[in-house]
Amino acid sequence: MSEQKKTFVVTRFDPDQDAAPRQQSYEVPVQPDWKVLDALNYIKDEIDPTLSHRWSCRMAVCGSCGMMVNGKPSLTCKDACADYGDRVEVAPLANFPIVRDLVVELEAFLEKLRSVKPYILVAKERAVEEGTYRQSPEQLEEFKQFSLCINCMLCYAACPVVANEPEFLGPAAIALGHRYNMDSRDEGQHERNEIFRGEGTVFSCSYANECSEVCPKHVDPAAAINQAKFNAVIDWLSGFVTSRGGK
Amino acid sequence: MARPVNPHAMTPSRPGRTRTAPPQAPNGWYAQPRMLRYLLFDATGIVYLLVGFVALRVVWALGSGPAAWAELMRQLRNPLYVAFHLLALVCVVFVAVRFFRLFPKAQPGHIGPAKPPPGPVILAGLYAAWIGVTLVVTAILAGWVLR
Repeated sequence: MSEQKKTFVVTRFDPDQDAAPRQQSYEVPVQPDWKVLDALNYIKDEIDPTLSHRWSCRMAVCGSCGMMVNGKPSLTCKDACADYGDRVEVAPLANFPIVRDLVVELEAFLEKLRSVKPYILVAKERAVEEGTYRQSPEQLEEFKQFSLCINCMLCYAACPVVANEPEFLGPAAIALGHRYNMDSRDEGQHERNEIFRGEGTVFSCSYANECSEVCPKHVDPAAAINQAKFNAVIDWLSGFVTSRGGK
Repeated sequence: MARPVNPHAMTPSRPGRTRTAPPQAPNGWYAQPRMLRYLLFDATGIVYLLVGFVALRVVWALGSGPAAWAELMRQLRNPLYVAFHLLALVCVVFVAVRFFRLFPKAQPGHIGPAKPPPGPVILAGLYAAWIGVTLVVTAILAGWVLR
């Protein structure tokens, strides 16, 4: 097995010089075991040190290296160069403002994540002497799948609703909120369900299922969103028979 | 990367310190088979809207007397109408199959103490219900029952 020359067409954008993103081609001698990220690092190290891209762990855990590869949201440390032809187009994640080259603006995503209160909410913290919060394997199983998200944002790049409705919370944020709603230790379901019943949340999802198709960790955000729809409605209905009065 | 999306997509509430390029989506994104299927799924709504108008016309003719009803029945035998209804049937089957495929995983983890059955069981139930309802409606329309 020997190296193979491939042309990488990479989106470049320098906010100080470019009016709009442009494309630049690089000839890369690709080794048989290389991932797309390896090729980008080769470009950065050997051809063009001005190229900017995010990466860290190289083992599909940190979620930093999500990009569009040949028009599809991909985790570049996971996608093998061998799976692509002689011409590989690499672009920043779709649906995100571009900060520089392959680096996108994350702040809106973090704002959306924060808005679903992604932490365990309890009415009253348990005293230390009362012991730990215990959870059975069955209770863990209810939300474990949704806790595997690495915030790579591929789902946002794939979602047609994110592209058209800026206020939409988006797949990862809703999946994370749902993950805490399903956690037996959490008491914040009503609080989060009120958020989920608001504008631009679970009911904006048209179940395109694209988020789940591209998720590298098989979190299945589309399932989380649609389960969250059901729970949000049940929570609203239960308000009529409890002291909340339909709230 | 050339097709613009909503320029405010994934834009933070407060602008950052550096200028950013507006969000984009790759050319040909909507031509990819998965997205194309999704767009076709959404587009079937137009066919259902038209079917709704035809249904209103049927009700209107029913209330307008035997002559209007006979005239409508004559028009509905027009090959264009037949083709339209065949298209509507294809749309219904397409949407039903997609809906059935996605329905099981949208079920809540549990409703009270009860857990939903496994996905394949839900799927089989949906198809059984679809076939059952189709047979019942066909039997009624064909006059086999409720004469």
